[in-house]
Amino acid sequence: MNPLYARRRRTSAIAMTLCVGATIFGLIWLTMILFTLFWNGFAGLSVSLFTEMTPPPNAQGGGLLNAIVGSLILTFLGIAVGAPIGILAGTYMAEYGRYSKITSVIRFINDILLSAPSIIIGLFVYGAVVVPMGGFSGLAGALALAVIALPVVVRTTEDMLLLVPTQLREAAVALGMPQSYMIRKITWRAARVGLVTGLLLAVARVSGETAPLLFTALSNQFWSVDLLKTMANLPVTINNFINNPDPNWKRLAWAGALLITLAVLSLNIIARSLSGGRNSK
Amino acid sequence: MNEMLRADAVNDDAGRVKLAVRNLNFYYGSGKPSLKNINLSLLNHKVTAFIGPSGCGKSTLLRVLNRMYELYPNQRAEGEVLLDGQNILGPGQDLNLLRARVGMVFQKPTPFPMTIYENIAFGIRLYEKLPKSEMDGRVEKALRGAALWDEVKDKLDASGLSLSGGQQQRLCIARTVAIKPEVILFDEPCSALDPISTAKVEELIDEMSDSYTIAIVTHNMQQAARVSDKTAFMYLGELVEMDDTDKMFTSPAQQRTQDYITGRFG
Repeated sequence: MNPLYARRRRTSAIAMTLCVGATIFGLIWLTMILFTLFWNGFAGLSVSLFTEMTPPPNAQGGGLLNAIVGSLILTFLGIAVGAPIGILAGTYMAEYGRYSKITSVIRFINDILLSAPSIIIGLFVYGAVVVPMGGFSGLAGALALAVIALPVVVRTTEDMLLLVPTQLREAAVALGMPQSYMIRKITWRAARVGLVTGLLLAVARVSGETAPLLFTALSNQFWSVDLLKTMANLPVTINNFINNPDPNWKRLAWAGALLITLAVLSLNIIARSLSGGRNSK
Repeated sequence: MNEMLRADAVNDDAGRVKLAVRNLNFYYGSGKPSLKNINLSLLNHKVTAFIGPSGCGKSTLLRVLNRMYELYPNQRAEGEVLLDGQNILGPGQDLNLLRARVGMVFQKPTPFPMTIYENIAFGIRLYEKLPKSEMDGRVEKALRGAALWDEVKDKLDASGLSLSGGQQQRLCIARTVAIKPEVILFDEPCSALDPISTAKVEELIDEMSDSYTIAIVTHNMQQAARVSDKTAFMYLGELVEMDDTDKMFTSPAQQRTQDYITGRFG
């Protein structure tokens, strides 16, 4: 065999082995995490998880109802505030300001926000909302989640709209369609699967956030849907319960972690299958 | 000689001129113009074909006529384009109204992501509020006008994207005629189509010239010869020659035209 070719083959084989090894190494940890989670989480699953409130320490039974509902409210509000702003900003960047300098500035800042540690965002909302309002509140928690969802939505909206072919825009404009009308009726419609995917990913992203809620919504052991008071939520409840020696709390914490993981997993799968459907079309 | 011919192309048939281009320069940014001092006229209810090698400015010229270039920054046109005597390059021109009068069909079929019916009705609704029955009639008329009705009348609710390439292109033509433009610009409308679809679209363009003033850019010389009344040959951003199609293809005045048409370059 040609020695040059033989050497290339050897190099390729070594590189391949390293890549496969790294993949396996990563997957092992992921499997172990998931296995531990499922093992401990399934043991804690029960109907009362969805019907009863979080118990006091060293009690028996109890559930996570208030935390589950609180998480749903916080996530819903966070997305309800963050998503419209994100979609409008992303639309501006992809449609109106595609060629302007400000768009690249916004994109740069948005990327920073996207990778900012969420605890920083929690601290920001703590300073901006919690302190002036004089206390922790569900409202502050929802706002913190909105700030986390915002850059995700901005990014996916811009990316998805940029994927819409320019010819489609030209065709719409060639009919004498005003730009705002063209965006609403043509480009958003052409990109709608991608936009929905972006929203789902944003939901998945915020639903597991703990740090920003520690400084904002805090937690609440009791049932409360008052946005101006502290609000129970799964991540902070897990955080509080898992660090406690009480086995009942530990059990609930694992069950809660499993719930979040399953929710995020299914959101990701839905998002994947939606975007996969688009690509195959 | 050259100057005289250009003047001819401008002044000939003055009464029937629908759209006149005067001293047009076009820039894709700073630097050299991509169109250099273009002067020509599109005659009312005639088909004018634009031929020339890639990059000669045919499509660019077309995109000036409905100011499509306005979508992009740094692109600008100098000179005049008179539509029924009105300069459409002027600052007072409403772009949407201009594009309603000067329609465009693109190289690649671009149906909107909606039903076949909606693809047509959508454009009409921009300008007219019609009751359902009247709208149905207009959609049918537009689809008949694009020789597509018989193929889609049973599936008007199907997605426009479900049609074949040739059908999609005719859908785009139907969509364009539905809003009753006066001029229609075709930018290589058949380059993505198979020969049978091409024949159908060509036939259609021929019929449409009864009602519209048409400009078509094409790389296919036979197509230019088949569908057009007048042919313009462009080269490196200049209009080399424009005349009756028969004359252009049999005895062009310019050597460069002759060379291009006979395939010696391009």
